[in-house]
Amino acid sequence: MAHGIDAASAAGPPPADVPHAGRLGQIQRAVTALNDLTAIFSALAIAAAGLILTWEVIGRYFLAIPSDWQDELSAMLLIGATFASAAWTQARRGHVAIDALGHILPPDIDRIRRRLADIVACLFCAYFAIKSFELFREAWDEGQTTPSAWGSPLWIPYGCMAAGMALLALQQALQAIKGPNP
Amino acid sequence: MNTLQIGLLYGGATIAALFSGIPIAFALGSVAVLFMMLFMPAASLDTITQNVYEELASITLLTIPLFILKGAAIGKSRAGKDLYDALHTWLHRIPGGLGVAVVLACGLFAAMAGSSPATCSAIGSSGIPEMRKRGYSPGFAAGLVAAGGTLGILLPPSIVLILYAVRAEQSLGRLFLAGIGPGILLVLLFSAYAMLHWRTEYRRAAALGAANEILRQERFTMAEKFAALPRVLPFLILLTGVMFALYSGLATPSETAGLGAVMALILIAVVYGAWTLADLKPIFAGTLGESGMLLMIIGMSLLYSYVMSYLHISQGAAAWIVSLHLSKWLLLTAILLLVVVLGFFLPPVSIILMTAPIILPPLRDAGFDLVWFGIIMVVVMEMGLIHPPVGLNIFVLNRIAPDIGLGAIIWGTLPFVALMAVAVVILSLVPAIAMWLPNLVYG
Repeated sequence: MAHGIDAASAAGPPPADVPHAGRLGQIQRAVTALNDLTAIFSALAIAAAGLILTWEVIGRYFLAIPSDWQDELSAMLLIGATFASAAWTQARRGHVAIDALGHILPPDIDRIRRRLADIVACLFCAYFAIKSFELFREAWDEGQTTPSAWGSPLWIPYGCMAAGMALLALQQALQAIKGPNP
Repeated sequence: MNTLQIGLLYGGATIAALFSGIPIAFALGSVAVLFMMLFMPAASLDTITQNVYEELASITLLTIPLFILKGAAIGKSRAGKDLYDALHTWLHRIPGGLGVAVVLACGLFAAMAGSSPATCSAIGSSGIPEMRKRGYSPGFAAGLVAAGGTLGILLPPSIVLILYAVRAEQSLGRLFLAGIGPGILLVLLFSAYAMLHWRTEYRRAAALGAANEILRQERFTMAEKFAALPRVLPFLILLTGVMFALYSGLATPSETAGLGAVMALILIAVVYGAWTLADLKPIFAGTLGESGMLLMIIGMSLLYSYVMSYLHISQGAAAWIVSLHLSKWLLLTAILLLVVVLGFFLPPVSIILMTAPIILPPLRDAGFDLVWFGIIMVVVMEMGLIHPPVGLNIFVLNRIAPDIGLGAIIWGTLPFVALMAVAVVILSLVPAIAMWLPNLVYG
């Protein structure tokens, strides 16, 4: 215990099932660096959302400041954090799956199943990233904003979704090419 | 193809995708996109990102990461151990008082942290070794913590209730209040079992005549009892403060979540001196992992439900259930059995999001109060947290007390599964246990 905090988990769960050697390992190290950066951004975004919502209460009750932008900005920060950290979570196999067949199938067949699952997930996320990028470009070109009085630009959340899902697809591709651990 | 055929295909594809091992979020998203490609206008595919964004941008849903941050901050601190130690010093005179203290600590901690695994981990890591040291059998000790931990999805601010409120279009404030009575009922049932089972273990040890820690009487002075309080009080103030902010109209649910997270971080900094980067890193790492995974499931489940609704699958399934003309209670039993079966494989979040559009309309037509049903559904899903094969709490306990063994933990949790079933029956016979508080506050 350090200051009452569980020191054993201080570094967070380590990446699992990621390539380490050769060209794939090099790419993974670059992706890991990017993942760590987006995780820091996401953590800051969650903390900022908490502070903004706290400020909303203080501003309304003690300073009589109208609250017209706080909810929307918090929503954008939290959605941005969710998508930006998706690849970081994937590198740690943090997106939960049903693994019932893993206990039934022979190990070799099960490895094929797990690799196929990675490939399908990767294809879906890549498709979602492409669609998000199209929407991001449209929002950017047309200067789309949210329908609220604050009217924040929509390219920001769409951009986070496109970038986050692209990075997630890349992380899944690396794990699919490397193949699951025995 | 007619709606029935498409619906059966959709269900089959979902089961195949989920069991293939694709993460739940991407499995649901893949099935939704595949059916959009096959059965919906091509233009609908251009709106998938927009759909997910607009559904996720609900400020109620977005309280989830902040409640998780609050839970992670409290869960990673020593608050759980302090809470349980304090309760133990005050309850040691009751037969089986240690077990009762563990159950009460789980309930209070769950209400502060809002998470079942966090509760199991925080109370179990100190409570299980202490109970075993005092002669409790390993399975009994593990069962108490596993069952107590499930209160995290029933007591406010339960993330599962937040999701249910959004999907069932019910008041979150009413649902949170409705969870309190059944939460207390479960605490009473678990405590009663703790006392009865302790007596059995005590008699067994006494009959053997051998020295056993369970036979030893404990004594705490008043000075010791009061010395245990100061570290616990700030967290109890946080717990009541958050509830006061929410129900006095001082803050909206989203503001309460933000306020709770910030207050929890300030409290652990002040009480435990946990404010350095090394202290905060595991808290934010835990929050990112859990909230990212959950919100991704929620976003993709909403896309999945949108496709189900567009293709009239959910409406068709709901109409079919209504056309069976089942009696009110048979309908409820059938739906709860479905929830139990789904609980074998899916976490509560996915069960709510996938089934709500199908099961809620027939229940509403049958005259059930959807706030009351939400609470019953959550109690049933609590069972899924402590029975195999998914049983999340079982695996949390297996990680923190690996020497007990999975088999002993499962046997230890089974009596509590039965107690939860008893609670469902009691809540069905006396709905006021859940509804009196929301009716009192909201009218």
